[in-house]
Amino acid sequence: MDNQQLPYAGQPAAAGAGAPVPGVPGAGGPPAVPHHHLLQQQQAQLQAFWAYQRQEAERASASDFKNHQLPLARIKKIMKADEDVRMISAEAPVLFAKACELFILELTIRSWLHAEENKRRTLQRNDVAAAIARTDVFDFLVDIVPREEAKEEPGSALGFAAGGPAGAVGAAGPAAGLPYYYPPMGQPAPMMPAWHVPAWDPAWQQGAAPDVDQGAAGSFSEEGQQGFAGHGGAAASFPPAPPSSE
Amino acid sequence: MMMMDLGFLEGGAGMADAGHDESGSPPRSGGVREQDRFLPIANISRIMKKAVPANGKIAKDAKETLQECVSEFISFVTSEASDKCQKEKRKTINGEDLLFAMGTLGFEEYVDPLKIYLHKYREVIGDSKLSSKAGDGSVKKDTIGPHSGASSSSAQGMVGAYTQGMGYMQPQYHNGDT
Repeated sequence: MDNQQLPYAGQPAAAGAGAPVPGVPGAGGPPAVPHHHLLQQQQAQLQAFWAYQRQEAERASASDFKNHQLPLARIKKIMKADEDVRMISAEAPVLFAKACELFILELTIRSWLHAEENKRRTLQRNDVAAAIARTDVFDFLVDIVPREEAKEEPGSALGFAAGGPAGAVGAAGPAAGLPYYYPPMGQPAPMMPAWHVPAWDPAWQQGAAPDVDQGAAGSFSEEGQQGFAGHGGAAASFPPAPPSSE
Repeated sequence: MMMMDLGFLEGGAGMADAGHDESGSPPRSGGVREQDRFLPIANISRIMKKAVPANGKIAKDAKETLQECVSEFISFVTSEASDKCQKEKRKTINGEDLLFAMGTLGFEEYVDPLKIYLHKYREVIGDSKLSSKAGDGSVKKDTIGPHSGASSSSAQGMVGAYTQGMGYMQPQYHNGDT
């Protein structure tokens, strides 16, 4: 059975990186801290996701190829809807079944991050629209999910829904241009700042029980810290948002 | 460009439905047509749940949106792969064509895990074929999953396999188990 350390243990950069882990920002910290912190966590989650998927692919077995997450016949029909498509090898729908799973996972993770920024626990259509708007590789979907839905939403706490260009998200721009964010609750000095992304067990680690909460949220926090170290080491491979030292 | 045109034509009814759905309350209609255009929402929902925390919820409109996005992803990559096959005067889209198309379209992150996955698939199916000869076709997967090759005779085999594959009444979660 997989343990929570696996996605990070597999990253050579994580093993070799000496990058400092940013501390928990205080309530009175400068405005740049919360946004930067959140962005780093988002990037760490996505990097861990991809590292895990590479490992998972190595473990594919005969049963995985027989019990696809998605029906092959339906994938074939969608492929054949293009009149230019003539013949499809048997491996193509099999490969697409896995590709679509990765696509759904990535888009859902990015959408969920938007829901969290808006303090919601229910993923909505406008979260998907926002994720598409801020991710270049999903440009081909802008007509599928009109972005106006995202605009109708009241501005999120961190201002991402405002629709700034994807490049701005990784730059100092949003931090510099955004007003300081106060936690909605009236606590004078909360131990856990409101912008802190709550720790959760990402169930995309398929080795774990998919729909069972394993608890041990603390262990995920530890992973998160390791993720930052790994991210520091892998900064060169993540062009959109090179981290600045805190 | 061509992909967008095809997408528009293909999704014409869908877009009408979507517009109607957004402005009012009627549910998405489509019946058989929708079944052909989208992957099953139950499968998509199950995958989405892996990407949100245990106490997170997913609204139905988000699931339906992902349904539409996935079909568009398949069409987008397929169109790119098909264009390349035509330029190279090949008739059959294979796994490498899809991988190359994804890389070209910006999905570089997908290529590594999928390359590994494709390699494993060919290993496993090859093994199954060998054991299948002894077991007389006990693994139905073999009949629709021949190891692909570049020769014309292999291409003919694939045509047959493809035809057989179309004949399956495929259950939601399994392939070829019926």
